[in-house]
Amino acid sequence: MTHWSVEGLASRLDRFGLGPVDLALEPGRITAVLGASGSGKTTLLRTLAGFVPADRGRLVRDGVDVTDVPPERRGLGYVPQGLGLLPHRTVERNVTYPLEVRGRVDARATVRPLLERFGLTPLAHRYPARLSGGELERVALARALAAEPELVLWDEPWQGLDVEARHELGVVLEELRETEHIPVVLVTHDPTLAFSVADTFVVLRRGAVVFRGDAATLLHRPTDAFVARFVGFENVYDRPTLDAAPAGSLAAWLAARAGPGGIAFPRPIAAVDGSGPVWDGEVRATHPSPEGLSLTARAGPIAVALRRPAPWAPPAPSVGSRLRFVVPEETLHPLGASEGDP
Amino acid sequence: MSGGGPAAPLRRRRPTGAPWLALQIVLGGSLLLLFVLPIYALFSYAGPAQIASAFRNAAVWQAIDLTLYASGVAVLAAIVLAIPLGYLLARHAFKGRSIVEAIVGLPVVIPHLLVGLGLFLLVIPGSPLFRFTNQIGFPVYDTIWGVVLVMVFVSAPYTVLAADLSFRAIDPRVLEASRSLGAGPATAFLTVSFPLALRGIVAGLLLTWARSVSEIGGILILAYTVYPGGIYGGPVTTTLSVLVYDIFQSGNLAGAAAVSCVFLLIAFALFLTVRFGERVGWVPWRRGELLP
Repeated sequence: MTHWSVEGLASRLDRFGLGPVDLALEPGRITAVLGASGSGKTTLLRTLAGFVPADRGRLVRDGVDVTDVPPERRGLGYVPQGLGLLPHRTVERNVTYPLEVRGRVDARATVRPLLERFGLTPLAHRYPARLSGGELERVALARALAAEPELVLWDEPWQGLDVEARHELGVVLEELRETEHIPVVLVTHDPTLAFSVADTFVVLRRGAVVFRGDAATLLHRPTDAFVARFVGFENVYDRPTLDAAPAGSLAAWLAARAGPGGIAFPRPIAAVDGSGPVWDGEVRATHPSPEGLSLTARAGPIAVALRRPAPWAPPAPSVGSRLRFVVPEETLHPLGASEGDP
Repeated sequence: MSGGGPAAPLRRRRPTGAPWLALQIVLGGSLLLLFVLPIYALFSYAGPAQIASAFRNAAVWQAIDLTLYASGVAVLAAIVLAIPLGYLLARHAFKGRSIVEAIVGLPVVIPHLLVGLGLFLLVIPGSPLFRFTNQIGFPVYDTIWGVVLVMVFVSAPYTVLAADLSFRAIDPRVLEASRSLGAGPATAFLTVSFPLALRGIVAGLLLTWARSVSEIGGILILAYTVYPGGIYGGPVTTTLSVLVYDIFQSGNLAGAAAVSCVFLLIAFALFLTVRFGERVGWVPWRRGELLP
């Protein structure tokens, strides 16, 4: 059981600055690092893995500072974007690689149970170019585990996977959490996938940590408009938009309840449901999904995303028709001002 | 369209027009003809009897021996010197890199007679380098070292460029993954970079070898006649290319053509051997048709 902690870690790659980042990585817990493209997610992983030198701060493994230890002696398994499999080696020889470079002569026998566990035995003599996305992911994970890492870092695990392979990966990660008892750090730009597996969430924006906590906090207390939009809120309004609204409108009602950075709330039900003022909107678009019907309606100066939960009976309300709804006051999230925003 | 009704016959013709294809065949074919016709002329002018007698000629074999020996040494030199330079260029960004790249490309663009002249001036009897090379046992004027020197000069850039491109083509994330899995920098080079770059490097070495064997311009000046000495203990001779030139200068056109044919047959046999080797898996990358 190895405990890792990241303490005020900061690094610089070209002109991009990352950090300071503080994290506690506990055995058996999966941390998801979220952020848009260019937010520094990969730079954070590469700094932890030892490929980008840290300017400030420390990476500590069980009380020992490993910030300046070369990548091959950090005892962590880094799975880069694209998996980094060795194209000139078979599946089996990819998985034996970490043992071979350590001079282990029993490499093939040692990895046999690993290949079996990940369903790779029938593929052992194939080359990576002949495998599907899901199979490649399993090879990468088996290979990382063959090195007996005390921390797994995985950049964009879901990239390029079809729906079925994504589901399979979720199962594998769940199993990894239960059997290996090592901390796992995942990096992804897609929060919905991360919600299905991770325990702790870190949101990066332009190299800075803007949120750290669990999923419930992330979804129920989005700190600012960026985080709210990023985790999937569609009804996010900034202060200037709300302040300009005419009196008596939904926007003005929201303005009275908004924080300095505006306000966010989940899709209200597209019917008069619950207590509070009833608003009136004009339907602009409808999109069916297994969870129900999503609608967009115009209410004065703002557009509001609404839902009609399943089961709902077609036909969907036609575009241009009017509907009435209530925004439950308890679902409103006043937002703080975003750092660095005008 | 719905599935009803009789199926229309499949059209197997390409949608592009026949005139377009005809143009490609005519233009490309003309170039192929240009490649093939001079070789045909050599064989037809020499005739089987002359070629057979050239094959039995001791002087021809002495020249073949020297040429293969010297070009082999040039390839070894390229392995030792050119691959590291290619790796350096591929892996490190440094100031003046474009200058280094231009210098590497220089031997490819300058006429090889100039190369010989330049090298000759460098090691001209009486020059400091002349005394130095003689003292350390590498006299270059009219020795095998002179031949090798010219060959390396004109042919090593192909290996440098091939190594540079091959190393550069490797996904850096594959290297980072292997480092993280426990491979130190040297181990990662030997187990990842080198195997992945090998195919391209071998292709570069083949070009280096081919260019060495066909070199004449620089050799004419620096080592027209090669005397025994250093690593060469054979008889006084010339490279095969110089031998053909010699015979041609003496007015024996059929003889020059016959020796040229010997040259071509040997080159062709080596080319076929490499191709065959690829097919039957003598080389490590045939299984690696799977390489990216």
